[in-house]
Amino acid sequence: MDWTWFHKWGSPKWFYELSGKWLPWLVGAMVTCLLIGVIWALLFVPQDYQQGLTNRIFYVHVPVASISLAFFPLMAIAGTIFLVWRMKLADVVVKVAAPLGAWFTALALASGSIWGVDTWGTWWVWDGRLTSLLLQFFLLLGVVSLRTALEDSEGAARACALLSIVGGINVVVIKYSVDWWNTLHQPSSNFTLATDQANGPEIWVPLIFMIVAVYLFFAISLILSTRNEILQREKRAQWVIDLVAKS
Amino acid sequence: MQFSNFQEFIEMGGYAFNVWSVYGMFLIFLTVNLYGPLRKNRLIIRDLKRRYALNAQAPATSSDFDSQSSPGSETIEEERA
Repeated sequence: MDWTWFHKWGSPKWFYELSGKWLPWLVGAMVTCLLIGVIWALLFVPQDYQQGLTNRIFYVHVPVASISLAFFPLMAIAGTIFLVWRMKLADVVVKVAAPLGAWFTALALASGSIWGVDTWGTWWVWDGRLTSLLLQFFLLLGVVSLRTALEDSEGAARACALLSIVGGINVVVIKYSVDWWNTLHQPSSNFTLATDQANGPEIWVPLIFMIVAVYLFFAISLILSTRNEILQREKRAQWVIDLVAKS
Repeated sequence: MQFSNFQEFIEMGGYAFNVWSVYGMFLIFLTVNLYGPLRKNRLIIRDLKRRYALNAQAPATSSDFDSQSSPGSETIEEERA
C-alpha cells in the first residue's frame, strides 16, 4: 500500500498550503447554509403545539450539542496517531480542538438550560445526559490546562493524547445516556418524510442546513487555529520565513 | 412566515428572552471562534516579522531564537512525522 498520503498529511507545510486553498470555499458554503438555516428557523418553522416558539432554540442547540460530541473522538484518533506514529500535525489538532470543544460544550449546556427553563420548568437537573455533558466540559478544560501546566511540550503532548482517549469513552456514555437513564432529557427524535407527521420535513430541513453550517464552522475554526499553531511551531522553517516575508 | 409584523417577531410568542438569548450566545460563539484565530494570525505574522528582522540584524546577540545561526542562513527541511 502506498502511504505517501499519510506522510503528506503529516507535513505541516503541505497542510498549510492546501487548507489555504480550501478556506474561501468552506467559508462561502458556511455563510450560505447559516443564512438559509437561521432565517428559515426563526421566521418560517411552524410553532410547536406544546412549546410554542421556544422550538427555535432547537436549531441552535441540536447542531451545537451533536457536534460537541465529535471533539473527543477526533482528539482520541489524533492522539493515537500522535502516540503511535509521532505525527506532529496530529498533536496540533489535539491542542487546538480542546478549547474549541469547550466552547461548543458550553453553548450546548447553556442553550439547553435556557430551553429547559420553560419547557421542563427547571434550569438544570442531574440527569444522565446533562451530567455526562458537563463532565465532557470539565474534561476538555482539563486537556487545555494540562497543556499549559506541563512545560515540557513532548510530555504535555503525550498526556493530552492519553486524556483525549479517556474522554472518548465518556462520549459513549453521553450518546446512550438518554436510553440508559429515563429522566428529563428526551431520547433521539425520529424524523420522517411524511408531511402530516409532527416531525415532518418543515421541521428537519432547516435543521439540516444548521447542522451543515455548524459542521463547516467547526472545520473552519479548527483549520484556522491549526494554521496558527503550525506557524508558531515551524517558525524556524524556511517556508515560514518566506511566507512571512511575502505577507 | 409565522409572524404578521416585526413586533410579533421580537416578542417570539412570549419567549423573547429564551430565543434571543440563545441566538445571541450563538452569535458571540461564532464571532469569538472565527475572529479570534484570524486576529491571532495577524499578531503571529507581525511578531515573526519583528523576530526575523531582529535576528537578521544581530544574529550573535539575539536571544529570540535558541538556534545557533540566523534563520535566514539555515534551511530546515520540513520534517515529516
